[in-house]
Amino acid sequence: MVYESLVPSLSVLVGYLFTYALYKGRLIRKTLHVNLWNFIIGIAFLVSGGGGFLLLIFMELGIILPSSPQLLYWHVELGITLVVVTLFHFHCYWKSALEMVFLKNRRPKNETKI
Amino acid sequence: MRQKFKQTLKSISRNKKVLGSLASVPLIASATMSDSCAGGCPYGLSNDPFPGQCGRYIDSSGDGICDLSQVLTSSSASSSASTSDTDSGSSSASSDSVNSNQLDSGNSNGSDNASAVTETGSSGSDGASLGVDDYNYHVLPISFLLLAGYMFTYFLFQKGILQSKTHKRLWNLLVTVGYAGVGVTGILLTLMINLGIKAYTQGITFWHAETAVLMVIGTLIHLHIYRKPFQRMFKVLFRWESYSNKKKSQIPQKSK
Repeated sequence: MVYESLVPSLSVLVGYLFTYALYKGRLIRKTLHVNLWNFIIGIAFLVSGGGGFLLLIFMELGIILPSSPQLLYWHVELGITLVVVTLFHFHCYWKSALEMVFLKNRRPKNETKI
Repeated sequence: MRQKFKQTLKSISRNKKVLGSLASVPLIASATMSDSCAGGCPYGLSNDPFPGQCGRYIDSSGDGICDLSQVLTSSSASSSASTSDTDSGSSSASSDSVNSNQLDSGNSNGSDNASAVTETGSSGSDGASLGVDDYNYHVLPISFLLLAGYMFTYFLFQKGILQSKTHKRLWNLLVTVGYAGVGVTGILLTLMINLGIKAYTQGITFWHAETAVLMVIGTLIHLHIYRKPFQRMFKVLFRWESYSNKKKSQIPQKSK
């Protein structure tokens, strides 16, 4: 079984760039852009993570279903998508991500300049 | 009795209900896991070629097809044994080389795979008695450890000992480690399967499964930490609104 790597990663990349361009062009709000990609990451996680968890349980129990090869295929394909969408998630929340990694404190909003 | 049960259910706060349901994940996993072993391909594949789709690839007959995915492995092995001496010689040589490869990768796992593989040489090509089911992916210990850790830091945060920022940072870092581990090992495995590379497959599969547990439990914790933005997501995308905190007058009535 050969897996497609370019098709899922390129399609989500094009989709992300499209909604990002719409947001930058002020055609859609940032909340819509961010929440749309949060929803997509959730779906990818559900299929990939849930499928992997089911496969692991089936493997341990020795259950072989006729749909197991298909489940494995979609687990891998959605897994590739999940990797790319995770990078977009970091891009959406890059300020929080930087803060998390480098312990950088944000300036309080009400701070008065001296 | 029924009313009492309903009252007790109502008295439990929403947070406790969420935490309770999160804690039930490893219990469900423990109930479904058993020591039973699989006699065939765990993914239900037939004639899975080299290097195989999972870490359980075994090819004692040396035909380049995983023995677990072959339906009649014992009959094919016996028929190949009854052929000419040169054929059997070459097949045994190739099976030796495969076994030595598996021994190496088993050592890299740090588990008992080495002993499991050494048994395969003597047991022949019978998939059920290969002993390759000795994998232990530590689903339960990691899940329990993570949930216990989260409950502990959540308790510290509720008591004001731990700052909200530190609490979030700690769990965000852990979920990032989980995603990074699963992503890197998953991409490596996909590339190796596509290119037909066998080296270290078992070790990478092992760490893929281990970090996946961290990723799944970490994501559930991430959803609990950011539950308000998560609810808002449905509101923004599908215009779903909860009216639990609104007065009756604020709820729009359906037009007749």
